[in-house]
Amino acid sequence: MNVAIKSITEQRDFVVSSSSLKEVRSFSREVFEKVNINQDLKDELVLAIAEAAQNIVKHAYQGEDTDDKMEIKISLENGQLEIGFFDKGRPVEEKNVRHRKIDDIKPGGLGTFFIQQIMDAVVFKEGEKPWINHLVLTKNLNS
Amino acid sequence: MSYKVTEEGNISTVHLDGEIDMDVTEKAKEIIMPLIEAKKEVHLNLKEVQYMDSSGISVLIESHQKATELGTKVILKEISKSVLKVIMMAKLEQILNLD
Repeated sequence: MNVAIKSITEQRDFVVSSSSLKEVRSFSREVFEKVNINQDLKDELVLAIAEAAQNIVKHAYQGEDTDDKMEIKISLENGQLEIGFFDKGRPVEEKNVRHRKIDDIKPGGLGTFFIQQIMDAVVFKEGEKPWINHLVLTKNLNS
Repeated sequence: MSYKVTEEGNISTVHLDGEIDMDVTEKAKEIIMPLIEAKKEVHLNLKEVQYMDSSGISVLIESHQKATELGTKVILKEISKSVLKVIMMAKLEQILNLD
């Protein structure tokens, strides 16, 4: 049974690897099980989080093998959801992050589009040490 | 992800099962692409796929485009609700062959 929680903060580290994406989804699902929102929205939020984690693997680390960890922090306060992603990969420049044109049908470039479709805002920040990148996704769950 | 392939005439049906993300896209392509290259009509049964992300969608696009290039087709069958939602989010419901 879902339990409505007004305030929640949970964070977890994951090895930067495509094999961690399943764990990222499990963690996200566990957190959203505690929140009284509909299943469709939960599924969308899990997708947005997994796409952002995938972007760290694919772009900040360019698919290289690493022992580095990324951190994902999910916070909810009075219906305002904030999801933070922290990594130590290559610095991401916001101007270089864009999805492909949606009517230009080709493989790739959809992850960022999905994130933008699902979330209210996507903000790239410089990470505070030891992090290099800090991505913040936000969504108002009251609306 | 697990899979099963059945053959009937020139139609190969690939039953995919599980979650399709970046970690399994190469495996999915290794299963699907040789069938397309053999000019089979490929039916992808997605009934048991509970999750698909943008990497999985890329496999569907790549398969569709390769099949078109080779004069055959890929048809998506029994698409699960969650996969259909992602296909629609990518605005591909008019592009891919959905059955």
